[in-house]
Formats: sequence, C-alpha cells, structure tokens
Amino acid sequence: MTLVLDIVTTAAILFAVSAGLLVVFGVMKIINFAHGAFITLGAYAGLLVTQAGLSPWLGLPLAFIAGAACGAVVERIVVRPLYTRALDAILATWGLGIIIGQLLTLGFGREVQFVQSPITGTLTVFGEAYSAYRLFLVLAALAVGGGFALLLEGTRLGLNTRAVIMNEDLARGLGIDSVRVRFITFALGSGLAGLAGALITPLSSVDPAMGVPWLLNAFMLVIVSGASLLTLALATLLLGGAQVLVSTLVSPILGGLTIVVLAAIVLRLRPAGFAR
Amino acid sequence: MKRMAAAALAGALVVAIAPFVLDGYTANVLVRSLLFGVLALSVDLLWGFTGFLTFGQSAFFGVGAYAYALTATQLGVDGFLLPVSLLLGLLAPAVLALLQGWLSFYHRATPLYASVVSLVVPVVVTQVLYSGGTFTGSSSGLTGYDMPDLSVPQWLWLCGGLLVLLTAAAAVFVRSDAGRLLVALRDNEMRCAFLGIPTTRLRIGLLIAMAAVAGLAGWLYAAYSGVVAPELAGFDLGTQAVIWVALGGRGTLVGPVLGAIGIDLTSAYLSGSLPFLWRLLVGLAFILVIVLLPQGLFPAIGRLILHRRRAAPVAPPALVPAATATARARGEALAVSDVARHFGALPVLSGVSLRAAAGELLSLVGPNGAGKTTLIRCLSDGTERSGGTVHILGQRLGSLPPHRCVALGLGRKFQTANVFDSLTVAECLRIARATIDRPSPWRRAGTLALPDAAMEVVQATGLDRLLGEEARLLAHGQKQALELAMVLALDPALVLLDEPTAGLTRSERLQIGGILRRLAQDHGMCLLLVEHDLDFVREISTRMVVLHQGRMVLDGTVEEVAASDLVRTIYAGEPH
Repeated sequence: MTLVLDIVTTAAILFAVSAGLLVVFGVMKIINFAHGAFITLGAYAGLLVTQAGLSPWLGLPLAFIAGAACGAVVERIVVRPLYTRALDAILATWGLGIIIGQLLTLGFGREVQFVQSPITGTLTVFGEAYSAYRLFLVLAALAVGGGFALLLEGTRLGLNTRAVIMNEDLARGLGIDSVRVRFITFALGSGLAGLAGALITPLSSVDPAMGVPWLLNAFMLVIVSGASLLTLALATLLLGGAQVLVSTLVSPILGGLTIVVLAAIVLRLRPAGFAR
Repeated sequence: MKRMAAAALAGALVVAIAPFVLDGYTANVLVRSLLFGVLALSVDLLWGFTGFLTFGQSAFFGVGAYAYALTATQLGVDGFLLPVSLLLGLLAPAVLALLQGWLSFYHRATPLYASVVSLVVPVVVTQVLYSGGTFTGSSSGLTGYDMPDLSVPQWLWLCGGLLVLLTAAAAVFVRSDAGRLLVALRDNEMRCAFLGIPTTRLRIGLLIAMAAVAGLAGWLYAAYSGVVAPELAGFDLGTQAVIWVALGGRGTLVGPVLGAIGIDLTSAYLSGSLPFLWRLLVGLAFILVIVLLPQGLFPAIGRLILHRRRAAPVAPPALVPAATATARARGEALAVSDVARHFGALPVLSGVSLRAAAGELLSLVGPNGAGKTTLIRCLSDGTERSGGTVHILGQRLGSLPPHRCVALGLGRKFQTANVFDSLTVAECLRIARATIDRPSPWRRAGTLALPDAAMEVVQATGLDRLLGEEARLLAHGQKQALELAMVLALDPALVLLDEPTAGLTRSERLQIGGILRRLAQDHGMCLLLVEHDLDFVREISTRMVVLHQGRMVLDGTVEEVAASDLVRTIYAGEPH
C-alpha cells in the first residue's frame, strides 16, 4: 500500500516539476534549460521565508512570483532573439542556468540548507500512516493541472494560446499578438518552476545545484509526453511509478536512472512518445 | 592549404618551446587543458560540422580515463600491458558510441532526440561508476595507480603534439571532398539520403571515431594526473565542452581548441580567488556569444585582424564526362501494384497500380490532395506505404530506407529546390556522385565526372559558369536546375520529379521541358512527373495518369486523357 502511495505522490511531484517546462515547450517549441535554475530559485525563496521566521505557506506564492519575474526578464533579453534557433535556445538557457546558479551561490553560499515544511506529521490513509506533506503535493499537482486546463479552456488568453500552439503564422494573421502570448507563457512556465522548487524542498534540502537532476527528469518527461498535460500526467505516473518500483525493489541508484533511460527507449521505439 | 600548414607549424613551435618558458604550475595545468582541447575538437566535428549538438562527449572521455585507471589498478601497465590498456581506452568508448549511435540515429530521427540521448549517456555512465563499489572506487574514484615515467615537459610535448596533429588532420579532412559530406549532412540530411548516401551509418561512424578520440584524451588524462573520478564522465564536463566550442567558434576547429585551452587555463588561475564569479562570467560570455555572435569569438577576431583577407576561393574542378550505363535495359522500369497509404483511419492512396518502361515520360496529374506527392513518397521510400508492392527495374522495393531505394536505380527530385545551402555548386554535384566516385578523405579532386544527362543540364542552364558559387546564393530557377543535375548525376534509370517547374519563369519551363523530353528519348530514362499545368504536361508526356481522391481514375495517352470528360469535370470542379 505504501508503494502505491509512493507512486502516486512521486508522480505528483514529477508533474509539478515538469508542468512549467511542458507549457513553454508546447507553446514556444523551445526547451528551457534554465528550468532547473528556476526550480532552485523557488527553493531559495522558500528558504528566505523560513529564515525570516514567517509562515512556510508564504513561500509558495513568493517562489512563483520570483520565478515568473525572473522568467519575464529572461524572455525579453535572451529567449526572444532565439525563437527560430531552437537548439541555440537550449544552449542560451543553459548558460542562464549557470549564471543563476552562481548568483545563488554568491548570495547564499554553497552549503546544503533546510526549509521548514508547512505541514508536518502523518495522515492515516487506507490504514497506513503516510506523510501528510506528500499527500498535500498530490492536491498541489492537481491544482496546477486543473488551473492550467481552466486557463486554456476558459479564458481569452487560453484561446489565443491554443491558436498559437496549433498554427502560429495563422494566429498572427488573425491579429493575435503571439509575441505577447509567448512572453506570458514563458513567465508562467518559469513561475511554475519556482513554485515547484518551493513545493519539493521540504522533502529534501536546498543547495545551488539541486535543480539539475530535476531538470533532466522533467526534460525527458516533457519530450516523451509531446505537448499535452494529460500525456504528461500519464508519463509521470508510468515512468515515476517505474522509478519508485526500481528504487525500492532493485537499487536507488538504478532508480535514479529509470526515467531517463526508459524515456529514451520509449522515444526510440515510438518517436511520438506517449502523445496520441 | 599554405595557411593551414603555417598554422600547424606555428602550433608545433609553440608546443616545442612551451616547457622552457612556462612556470611549473602553468605547465602542469596546460597538459590538462591540451587534453580538453582534444575533447573540444571531437565536439566541434560533431556539432560544428554535422550539426549534432552533443552534451555527451565527456562520457567517452571518462570511459577512456577509467580504462587506464582500471587496467593500471587491476593488471598494471608494464610492458605489453600498456598498449593493451590503450587499446581498451579506444575500444570501450567506441563500443559505447556504437550503442549511443544506434539509439540516436535512425531513419526519421529528429536532431533533438539525438541531443536527448547524448544527455542520457553521461548520466548513465556516471551512475554506473558511482555504483561500481571498490572496482571503480565509487564516488572517490581511483588513485595511487602506476603512471608512465614521464616528466611534465615530456607530457606537454606528447599532448601538445597530439593536439596539433589531430587538429591538422581534422582540418585536412573537413576540407577534403569526403569532409564536405559532414556539412551536407548538417545542411540537408534528407537530400543526402535520397542521393543514396547511408546517412545513419555515416553519423554512427563519425560518432564512433570521435568517441575514440575523446577516449584517447581521457586515457592520457588518467595516465598523467594519476586520479580519476566519476565527474570526468559527467554531464557537467560535457556541457562545458559545448561552451568551449561555442565560445571559440563552432565549425572552425582551431577556435574550439583555443576556447578549451583558454577557458580551462584561466579557470585554473581564477578558481582559487574568484571561483563563482569566474563561472558566472563564463556563463555570461556564453549567452552573449550564442545570442549575438553565433559564429563564436575566433572567426570574429580573425575578421577584425585580417580585414577582408579571406582565404582565396578554391578553384572549382573541371567537368569531365563520366562512364554511364550505356546499355540501359529497355525493359520495365517501374511496376506498382495495389499500393495504398493511410494515416490512421484516413486513406490517402488506395489500389494504385501502374507500369512504366524505359524511355517513357509518364505524367501524374490530379487536383490538390489527390495523393500525387504521397505516391512519389511511396515509390522512393520503402517505409512509407501501408500496402501493395513496388518493383524498380525488376527489384522489390520491400521496406528499404531511401538510400537503399536509390541504389536500385532511382532518383528523386523534390518539389521545393532541395540543395546543400552552404556548399558550392561543384561540391553539391560531387556529393551527388559520392556513392559512385568515392570522395577522397584528404584532398580535393581536380576534376568532377558527370554523366551526360547531368552534364547537359549543367551546361544548358549555365551552372557550369557558377561551379564555385555557394548554392544558397543561386536564383530559384538555378537551384531547381542544380537539384535536377544532382539527381541525374546518380545516373538513375527511373527519375521521380515532383513539380520540377514550380515557380519557374515561362522560358525556364520550356528549357526544363525540353531537357526532360531528351532524358526519356535520348538517354532512355523512365521519368515520372507530377505536374499541375496540363498544357505543359501535354507538350512533353508520352502517357498520363490521373489521380483523384487517392485513386487512379485514368491511365492513357495524352490525347485520351486530355479529351476525357472526367478530367474536365475534375479540373473544372463540376459535380460528377
């Protein structure tokens, strides 16, 4: 039973971490390699709140704002000139990741630090005591996914965004400001990365390089799922589940490799991944 | 060529005197930087020339390093064991590269996927090294093993000499006729495949060679430094190598080498006093170069100093006639039976059967969406169709990939002009001949042999006066003619042409029309032509086939088809 809960909560964490990257990839066809750095940024926002002695809940909106603001600036300066050079955009955002990581190191030092969790203790689910915070993360992931679905399906901006995803040239021809859509998307995706950073840190710790392994897993999950939140949910459940199984039954080191290796093999056999 | 020799000589000279002018610390670090230069060189050949952005060359460097460290700890490296260890340092990375290549490169693989796999490989290798227990030394790595008895100056000469040698060899190779293939792969992999070039095998082969080069650098690094750790194989070193190459200037060979040495040396000095600030500056410089100066620093500085003194253009080769299959079989060139193609539940083609003999000029007409281009695809790529059989010159098409289909005697001209933008006209034509006249890996041939038909197109359209011109600078009509000449350079028996006159002026159309007719009449080729313009088709075809909504509705002489009511209703859009 614990295994099932582990799988569900791990999938929820992976979903929260990957959603921002997926949104940027879906709309802009660009892989944001600074995603890991934005996750780290969000984690440090959570750390600041802890150090100031404020309620840990405050860390979540603060992390989102920090990520979104940073993403907005980055989109203007770095990403916009590289729209047509997708591989170069990967490189430039990777460079950004280095810069953000070094700035965080200069500001906070290199050491591993810990963040206070907003929820402590356990809940009893199906007769098992299980970490309440991990269960809360499932709700958080559902909220992120649901919020996005609402945004896409229920608002004018969402409609414009879907038009840009389907056919950017046509959307522009119809008077949709695709540059603005891209700008908002990137800021939103970065904000989500920051939020994810604040969400995951109570489970582990904070250090300037913490984002990189998350980036790798998120990257593979996004590539495998194409550009849909539903397939992303499916991919996180299947691959995240495999990761949990391998970690507990075989070895944690192999478990850490499960997602990247499985995703690469899935893509080799089926280039569309889980899409359609 | 002279400039290259001078540069190599200057490099060798610098290496020779370096131990006498450098202090001990710098010389010590420089050996490592030189080996990183070798690593950067391998990244540049893959990324700068063939366009494969790889983050994973570090994996081969690390495997090479562990090959030395493991043989030294387990067996020792005395006497004959040293060459055994070296062999392992070359072979182990090569085998890993074969695996990576098989995963990364296949028919219809995307460049992004190859980059994804290149990220996975170092992550996996590092984890394997971490979990190797006492055998690999886990996270602390291996140290204290036997090292060759060389002094630091000797190491400098060895590694510096190797770097100069490899850079010079790479420079000779990329300028040779065979080396242009790398650029052709980067510019247009599909066109390469449809010229009969085994692109997948080429890419895997190059990756294996570059893995061995990176492995050699790692092997030397382990032998020199006496320490190996899993980080040597890591993704971080792999991305650093990409940064060196980008800053130095991708596709310039010397730039990436200088980039690696410069950055690694400086960071050795600054990592003591300003470790984080230094990485910050490198990251900043990296972004600036990617966004503002994609060609990198080395070419930019070169332009500033040398001021318009670009290398003299190489004289284009002289055109000579090539031996052709003079006695072309007069038999059946193409036999198609019951071919179908559907995407999911949506049928695009069904039940198409037709035959064509040598000397025929068969036109395929029909409104937009009739399935004409889809049919051409099914005939030139065995993996495309969903059902039916295709025979080219009596040989089964089966499910062969494009380059094998071309080997059966087929040539395909695409709808939009499909050439190699950064190659010259002569180089494009030579790439087209690559499967017939094996290009030299170290020099440029003085002549270019073309079969009669290709020669005729080149001369009739004035391309023979533009042999040294880069293809991207050609006018639209000239590009179309160049692609046709490239296809004919294969000396095909069956030529598939998808709207060869699209976007051409009236006089150009007439010229191409005349050439096509002669290809069928005088050269005995079988031509299958997709066209919209009924008048043009009527003038040149020997037979016409009408496709409508994915089915063949007519197959007959020009007169029969042109006179039929069906064609009139289809083209006039009347209900039927």
